[in-house]
Amino acid sequence: MEKPTLNKPIIIIKDLMKSYGDNNVLNGFNMELNEGENLVIMGKSGSGKSVMIKCLIGLEEADSGSIEIMGKDIMALEQEEMDDLRTEIGFLFQGSALYDSMSVRENLEFPLRRHTKKFGIIEDTTPMVVTALKNVGLENAINLMPNELSGGMKRRIALARTLILQPKVILYDEPTTGLDPITSKEIIMLMQSVQEKYKTSSLIITHDVDCARVIANRMILLVDGINYAEGTFQELATSKDPKVQAFFK
Amino acid sequence: MNTIFKISEPIQSFLTEIGELSYFSGRFFKEVGKRPYEFKEFLKQCYNMGYQSLLLVGVTGFIIGLVFTLQSRPTLQQFGAVSWMPSMVSISIIREIGPIITALICAGRIGSGIGAELGSMRVTEQIDAMEVSGTNPYKFLVVTRILATTLMLPILVFFADAIAIYGSFLVENTKGNVSFLLYFNQVFRHLEFSDLIPSTIKTFFFGFAIGLVGCFKGYNCKKGTAGVGIAANSAVVYTSMLLFIIDFIAVLVTDIFYN
Amino acid sequence: MEKTATQKIKLGIFVIVGLLIFITTVYFIGKKQNIFGKTTEISSIFDNVNGLQLGNNVRYSGVSVGTVTAIEMINDTMIRVEMDIDDKIISHINKDAVAIISSDGLVGNKIISILPGKKNKIPVKEGDVIKSMKRLNTEDMLKTLNVTNENTAKITSNLVKITEEITKGKGTIGMLINDTTMSADLKEITQGLKESATSLSQLTTSLNSKDNVIGVLNDTGTANSIKQTLKNLENSSLKIDDAVKNLNTTITNAKEGKGAINYLSNDPKLVQKIDSIMTNINKASIKLNENMEAMRHNFLFRGYFKKQEKEQKKNQKNSSSK
Repeated sequence: MEKPTLNKPIIIIKDLMKSYGDNNVLNGFNMELNEGENLVIMGKSGSGKSVMIKCLIGLEEADSGSIEIMGKDIMALEQEEMDDLRTEIGFLFQGSALYDSMSVRENLEFPLRRHTKKFGIIEDTTPMVVTALKNVGLENAINLMPNELSGGMKRRIALARTLILQPKVILYDEPTTGLDPITSKEIIMLMQSVQEKYKTSSLIITHDVDCARVIANRMILLVDGINYAEGTFQELATSKDPKVQAFFK
Repeated sequence: MNTIFKISEPIQSFLTEIGELSYFSGRFFKEVGKRPYEFKEFLKQCYNMGYQSLLLVGVTGFIIGLVFTLQSRPTLQQFGAVSWMPSMVSISIIREIGPIITALICAGRIGSGIGAELGSMRVTEQIDAMEVSGTNPYKFLVVTRILATTLMLPILVFFADAIAIYGSFLVENTKGNVSFLLYFNQVFRHLEFSDLIPSTIKTFFFGFAIGLVGCFKGYNCKKGTAGVGIAANSAVVYTSMLLFIIDFIAVLVTDIFYN
Repeated sequence: MEKTATQKIKLGIFVIVGLLIFITTVYFIGKKQNIFGKTTEISSIFDNVNGLQLGNNVRYSGVSVGTVTAIEMINDTMIRVEMDIDDKIISHINKDAVAIISSDGLVGNKIISILPGKKNKIPVKEGDVIKSMKRLNTEDMLKTLNVTNENTAKITSNLVKITEEITKGKGTIGMLINDTTMSADLKEITQGLKESATSLSQLTTSLNSKDNVIGVLNDTGTANSIKQTLKNLENSSLKIDDAVKNLNTTITNAKEGKGAINYLSNDPKLVQKIDSIMTNINKASIKLNENMEAMRHNFLFRGYFKKQEKEQKKNQKNSSSK
């Protein structure tokens, strides 16, 4: 993978701490996501990856530390400002999280509700929905319900929903979980093409080594709630550290 | 000391639950007046909860009307007071049976439905997804649903009452050869506003309780598919209990105001 | 999109029909309570409203014409009840109509019944007060009965006193009565009454005792005739009772009258009355005696009465020998 051309950090996380009762999930995690880069965070289940990404988008509140997205400290933001910021961030959920009671079209329109209100324009959402669906190659699924879709299709629709607002950053929470290897590969390819097309920055959380190999510009290994190791896929894969090695076996 | 703690633990969790429920309902009142209004979702929920429950509520009401009349007729016959049947049926159905039966049916159908729906949305991160999309999920999911149940339940009760009284008429008509006009007049003969108004106000609270508890249980669902089941189940159980408590309070309050 | 449109229509129909049911109910209850028609307010004052409530019906000759709209205490014995009467009916209600509180059936709600007036043909106007009539309820009836009872008790005790005094031949009555014949008469009567009473009680005791002839009676005919006799006896004693009562009133009159017996003897009417009473009592005791006589002739009792006679003779002998 080519090195990112721009190096301006878009997300900065400093000393992030989060615990549930006695269980310390994050113990001072640090991270920077640069513009245009694909950063992969790898870690075992329960290592706090998902918690970290949820703190990032404001679904969970961190105990201490700071999170800065596009120069804004999200801990200090009002709900309204946070919602505004969220339109700039896409989030692909682990289980796709399509709204079961809505058709594909309504699912894709959902993020636009706020967007359209924000600008006070009643737009015809159809072109945007169609474009987003074309990006993931599922134009024909527009009137289907989520329960009529396969797992891979759901994931692609979810990606389309994430893309519809053309966010600057996309956070992927285990984008390939629960998919067969071929579908996984399709999703990864899609992610790449999207990244190229919209010049987004991506933060990818995964424990799928194949995914990381293809997509990562840079990797962080999350162990015991801290950023244990950092580097390119190549660097980490050849590391002598047994804890790092454990990921690549 | 240890035993005290063991005993106090369920009480503690019960109180916590009550406290959380109070906050949850407080949030409803805080957010119900705020823009943007989720009108489309509200209508959709009204359709789901109101119109879609009509058949169930109607059938139940009809059977209740039939059974109630058949059961009480012999007793009244012993007193030679069969002519009191319509007034008695109408008053007891409008005051109590209609509202509580409809509310219980809706607690079963709507309450568990909301519990399961929101529960599974919580588990599959759909609620998170909404939040991330910049939509307030509480407003979109909870406020609309509570409003819908609050406003739809009274209407369902009107239907249930009317259908139950019609069912009662059918029995009277076949057993006692009572004409519709006579029955109709008899129904209204002893009916007062003090029968209709308090029981109608009561149904709004019933509706609110059904929506509130269903949403509360679903919205705060624990992770995992088991959590969804628990959410749906406890929504029904808690709602039914709450309905009777509300009913009791309503009767007390009615008593104070009308006597 | 099309799906939601039909959903909206269905929902609309659902809501409208539901509300219609509600509105119909409200309308019919309201119609019953005359909320929507034009009404005229009249009132009436009661001393007891017997649990009448706001909203209770007002009926005129049995037709529902309005509702009770206010019940207020004016003072400790007056309660003003306001009612709204349907304007269509109001011209038929006259100013001398009477309001009465009754109940709708045996266990029904309280209602106000307006009874039509008779003489006055002027219809009531807004704000008029019509007369009310006290409703006779069970409580009142019991009260009246109670008073009657008390009176009866008083009369009885008076009677007892008077008869006692008469028997003793002294006291006010005895002294008051100067007319010797009358007092003799009275004495005679009371003596007769006494005798009858004693013989009556003796008879009944012996009838009750097993070893009496009556115990072995099998003949129903005889039993019937005895029954008849007893009945006659009863009638006679009732008549005596009446007579004594009359006597009582007379004596009370005598007591209350000025100059007591002078007044009594000067008033020919009273004397006549007393005389007739005496005659009545006499007649009654004669009848009683006749009954006794009839009994005596009955062969079954013959033995008993003979025994009595013998005893009496014995007693006389004993007393004469003393």
